[in-house]
Amino acid sequence: MVYIGEVNMKRKDYQIITNNPLVKENYDRVIFVDGGFQDVLIKTRDLVHSGYKLISHPLGASIRMFFSPYRSILITDKADKLDMEHVEIIENSIVSYKKQMDHRKPDEANSKDYACIDGELLKSALEEHERLSI
Amino acid sequence: MKLELRRIHIKDIQFGNETVVKDGILTINQEELVNKLKEDERIKEVKVDLARPGEKVRIIPVKDVIEPRVKIEGEGNGFPGVTTKMAQVGSGKVNVLYGAAVVTVGDIVGFQEGVIDMWGEGAKWTPFSKTYNIVVDIKPVEGLAPHTHEETVRLAGLKAAEYIGEAGRNIEPDEVLVYEMGSHAEESKKYPDLPRVLYVEMLISQGLLHDGYIYGVNSQLILPTLLHPNEELDGAVISGNCVAACDKITTYQHQNNSVILDLYEQHGKTINFLGVILTPELTTLEGKFRTCDYTAKLCKTLGADGVIISEEGYGNPDSDLLMICKRLEKEGIKTVLITDECSGWDGMSQPLADTTEEAVAVVSTGNVSHVIKLEPADKVIGDINAITTLAGGWEGCLEEDGSLQCELNAVIGSTSEIGYHNCTVKLY
Repeated sequence: MVYIGEVNMKRKDYQIITNNPLVKENYDRVIFVDGGFQDVLIKTRDLVHSGYKLISHPLGASIRMFFSPYRSILITDKADKLDMEHVEIIENSIVSYKKQMDHRKPDEANSKDYACIDGELLKSALEEHERLSI
Repeated sequence: MKLELRRIHIKDIQFGNETVVKDGILTINQEELVNKLKEDERIKEVKVDLARPGEKVRIIPVKDVIEPRVKIEGEGNGFPGVTTKMAQVGSGKVNVLYGAAVVTVGDIVGFQEGVIDMWGEGAKWTPFSKTYNIVVDIKPVEGLAPHTHEETVRLAGLKAAEYIGEAGRNIEPDEVLVYEMGSHAEESKKYPDLPRVLYVEMLISQGLLHDGYIYGVNSQLILPTLLHPNEELDGAVISGNCVAACDKITTYQHQNNSVILDLYEQHGKTINFLGVILTPELTTLEGKFRTCDYTAKLCKTLGADGVIISEEGYGNPDSDLLMICKRLEKEGIKTVLITDECSGWDGMSQPLADTTEEAVAVVSTGNVSHVIKLEPADKVIGDINAITTLAGGWEGCLEEDGSLQCELNAVIGSTSEIGYHNCTVKLY
């Protein structure tokens, strides 16, 4: 698979929390987590507790994506008042992830493909964010 | 709209010198089909294979399943907006090669799953072990961008189904099903006292391998949209979902959407079926809030008394499902949710990634974590290496004799969230 570079974003009001080296290479505004999927979720949780808001949902849309070694999540660039709805979402996401992945390892054998698809999904999320004006 | 689905019962499939149907036997000219598909220059190689119910054959990884049909009267043969020119579908007469299915294999990424076993334990869990499958394995040319690769395989499957469906053009059907429903005003005048029921069908709409299309429009770009049920039964909605094997709505399942068919059956008897709202499952929270608010508003504006909501996928879409439920219930509109569960090997864990107290009427279409044992196949159509992906990555899942233990989430259609599958429910 060929990874096509970043989206040409006009909006600048976001940060990307990610452990995906392809994303780190191709995007700005990256908070790089040197760890696994769960570490990305935990970093996201810590920042949400500090007042940053989620832009994209922390989890993927199918079981298969839980097995990905990589995950990229969009949050706001500035911290604000704590939002309990966002806290609930990220905390529930960590619980769901642990429940899924406690008895298995991430699918490292396909990590290159997962890195690419994570990048593609991030691109779609950014495009969606761009289409919204708030 | 009035749509006639005219089923020609297919009892066997074979290769031969021409593509015809005779006495229920579908014969396919393999070379002609391959040449037809290779008209797309992005395709390097096409392999066509056949898999019949009962044969010890495994098909993996499955991308999509499509029912071969041909419209003999009315607008919109094929898949308007995708493979054929734009047309309004939902009316006319369609000949259906009932019992046959085109199955595409050809992984865009190495982790794609989706197995159809035509025999044994695996066959019990997929509806497509009972269809006569024409398996089309597409190899694109090198260096295609991922979106182009996916599109190439998607279109090839649809075109194969159109080519094969053409064989049914002049054949007398074995049974004819008529789907007729007028405007809301007309139907409500006929059945003023029946409760008004809408079906909200959620579609994964999150990007590559996670797409759906309505008249060719990517569902990531839409607001929730009202569809006449005939439109989905007649090819308006196709699948671009390659990841959630157990509950992805294949194109075949859109063409035969069980929720739509069951609600249609009840229309005029116990309910006034108002139609289908297609709702995208977006990635951003703002997008989700907008979609869920809009869906609830559409239901309210159309005067629904009750709404049935089906989901596609697991994880972040669970949030959408419950948000729509909550909004509707708060408006006094009763909801029933249809979803699969991810409840662990013992079935005891919390089923969804989210919860809400308003969700009191939920139909489960099965536990995606349920483990089954698949025996070695005599023949594998597709990519034999994909078997290791199925194995789910835990200790002891691959056995010495070649059997493997895998979770239902790897089996095509096993826990279909629109109910097009083999699982049933028992009340205790």
